[in-house]
Amino acid sequence: MKRWLWVAFVIALCAACLMGATAINPLNMTAVEHDILLNLRLPRVLFGAVIGAMLGLSGSVYQLTLKNPLADSFTTGAASSAALGAILAISFGAPAPLVPCCALVTGLLGLTLVYRLSLTNGFINPVTMILAGIVMNIVASAVISFSKYFFEESISSIVFWLMGGFFIVSWGRLLVCALVFLVVYLSFRQRALHLNLLALDECSAQTMGVNVPRLRSFAFVAATLLVAIAVSYTGIIGFVGLIVPHIARSLFGSDMRHNLLYSSLLGALLLVIADAVARVIIPGGAELPVGIITALLGGIFFLYLLQTRRERFWHG
Amino acid sequence: MAELQAEKLSFGRRNFSLQIDSLRIVAGEKVAVMGENGCGKSTLLQLLCGLLSPTAGVVRYNGNNLDELLMARRAKLFSLLPQLSEVIFPFSVYEVVLFGRFPHCSGNSFSRQDDEKTRLLLARLDLLDFSQRPFNQLSGGEQRRVMLARVLNQQAEIIYLDEPNASLDIRHTLDIFALLSARPETVIAPVHDINLAYRFFERFLFLKQGRLLADVARKDVTPELLKETYGVQVTTGTAVFQFHH
Repeated sequence: MKRWLWVAFVIALCAACLMGATAINPLNMTAVEHDILLNLRLPRVLFGAVIGAMLGLSGSVYQLTLKNPLADSFTTGAASSAALGAILAISFGAPAPLVPCCALVTGLLGLTLVYRLSLTNGFINPVTMILAGIVMNIVASAVISFSKYFFEESISSIVFWLMGGFFIVSWGRLLVCALVFLVVYLSFRQRALHLNLLALDECSAQTMGVNVPRLRSFAFVAATLLVAIAVSYTGIIGFVGLIVPHIARSLFGSDMRHNLLYSSLLGALLLVIADAVARVIIPGGAELPVGIITALLGGIFFLYLLQTRRERFWHG
Repeated sequence: MAELQAEKLSFGRRNFSLQIDSLRIVAGEKVAVMGENGCGKSTLLQLLCGLLSPTAGVVRYNGNNLDELLMARRAKLFSLLPQLSEVIFPFSVYEVVLFGRFPHCSGNSFSRQDDEKTRLLLARLDLLDFSQRPFNQLSGGEQRRVMLARVLNQQAEIIYLDEPNASLDIRHTLDIFALLSARPETVIAPVHDINLAYRFFERFLFLKQGRLLADVARKDVTPELLKETYGVQVTTGTAVFQFHH
C-alpha cells in the first residue's frame, strides 16, 4: 500500500508535467516544448507538490493539537489571517522577504484568538472552534478585499488571494518552500511520539511526561509557519489539510509517526492533481484558481464528516 | 521509592478554597481520599501532580520541590488516572496502553520490552480480546479499564487514581482493587464507595469543604467520622449483599 502510494505520486508528477494548455509528448518535443517543460511545468508541478505537502502536514498537526477532526489551516482561520498579514505587508510596501514573516505573525494571532475563544474549562469546544474560525475567515476576507480595492483596485489579485493559485512560480520560491517544509517536517518527526500523547486529555498527557503547553505552542508556531509561507506565495488554498489527514489515518492508522509523512505525501498528491485539473478544465488555455477545486472537494468532504461524526462531534 | 510531602498547601478559586497544613505519605501506602462531591478531592490530586499551581505552600517528592522537577522525571515519580479521559482519533486499545511506556522510551520508538509489558498488562486486566479495537468504540467501563492499564504501564512510584472504579462493574472493581492493594506502589485514590474503600485501603483522608477533617488508619474510621464527613446517618452491620472476589 505504502509503495503504491509513492508510485502513484511519481506517476501524478510526470503526468502533471505533460498536461496543460499545450500538451507535451515526451517522445517528440520541439525546442519550445522542451523549454516549457523544464522552465514552466516542472517548477510549477514541484511547487504544487511542496505546497500540498505543507498544507497536509499543517492540517495533520492542527487536527491533533486542536482535537478537532474538522480543523485545518482554512477552518481555523489561520490561513485567512496569514493572508491578511501578507496583503497588509505588500500594501504598505514591505520588502518581499518580510511578507511571510508578517503572515506568520497575523496567522498566529488569528489562530490564538480562535483557540482562546473555543477553550472552556481547559477543554476545546469543537463547535465554537469552527464558528470562531468561520468568523475569522469572513472578517479577514473582508479586510483583504477592502485593502485590495483601496490600494490597487484590482479584482484579479483579490481572486488570487481568496481562491489561491500558482501564478508566480520561481525556483527560488520553490527552494524556500522545500527547505521550510523539510525543517518543519523533521522537527515534527523528531517529536512524533510526544505528539501522539496530545491525542489524550491534557491531564493524562502532562502526567505522562509531555510538557503540553510548550509542545502545543511549538506545534502552533511550526504549523502556522508552513501555512504563512504557503499563503504568501499561493493565496488561500483551503481544505487540503482537512481531507488528507483523515485519508492517511484510515489507510495507515492514527500514529503520528506515520500520519505526518502520509498526510504530507497525500497533500502533495492531491494538490498536484487538483492543479493539473485546474490547468486543463477550461478549454482555450485559461486557468482556474486551484483553490476552487480544493474548496469543492473539501466542502463535500466537510459535509461527509459532519454527517458521519455528528453524534460524537456535538456531544463531545 | 518515593515519599510525598505537602506543606501549608493552599489553593483558591472563586467560591472554593483548599487548605492542607501538612501531609506526608510514605512509599507503598494505600490512601483513600474521602469526601462529598466538590470537597476538593480532584483539586488535591491536581495540586499534587502539578497540574494546578498552589497559591501558597509546596509539594515535595523525596525532598525535591515539585516545581523544580522536569516533566520526564515527574512521569517516573507519579502517574494519574483523571476522572475524565479522552482519546481523539481511532487509536487502538493496544496503542493507548503502550503510550503508558512513554516515560521509559528513548528516541522515537518503543522497545520490545515495552511491547511485552503492555501485552502482560492487557492480559491481566482482561483486555486482550479487544486490544486491536479503536479505544473510542469501547463502552465507558471498558475505556476506564484501558486507561487504568495505561496508568499502571507507566510504572510510576506513586499512582493517583481519581475514582478508579467509576463506571466499572463489581467483578472488575474487585479485581482491580485486589490488584492495586497487592502492588508495591503508593496508591492515592478518591473513592466514593465507602465499604469498598474500607476493605482495600489502609489510610483514609477525610476532606470537607476544602479542609482536611481527619487523616486516620483503617481501624480509626468510625461511624461518627463518616457522619460528619458526609452529613448522613451511619449504622454498621446492615449490608444486604456482600461481594467477594
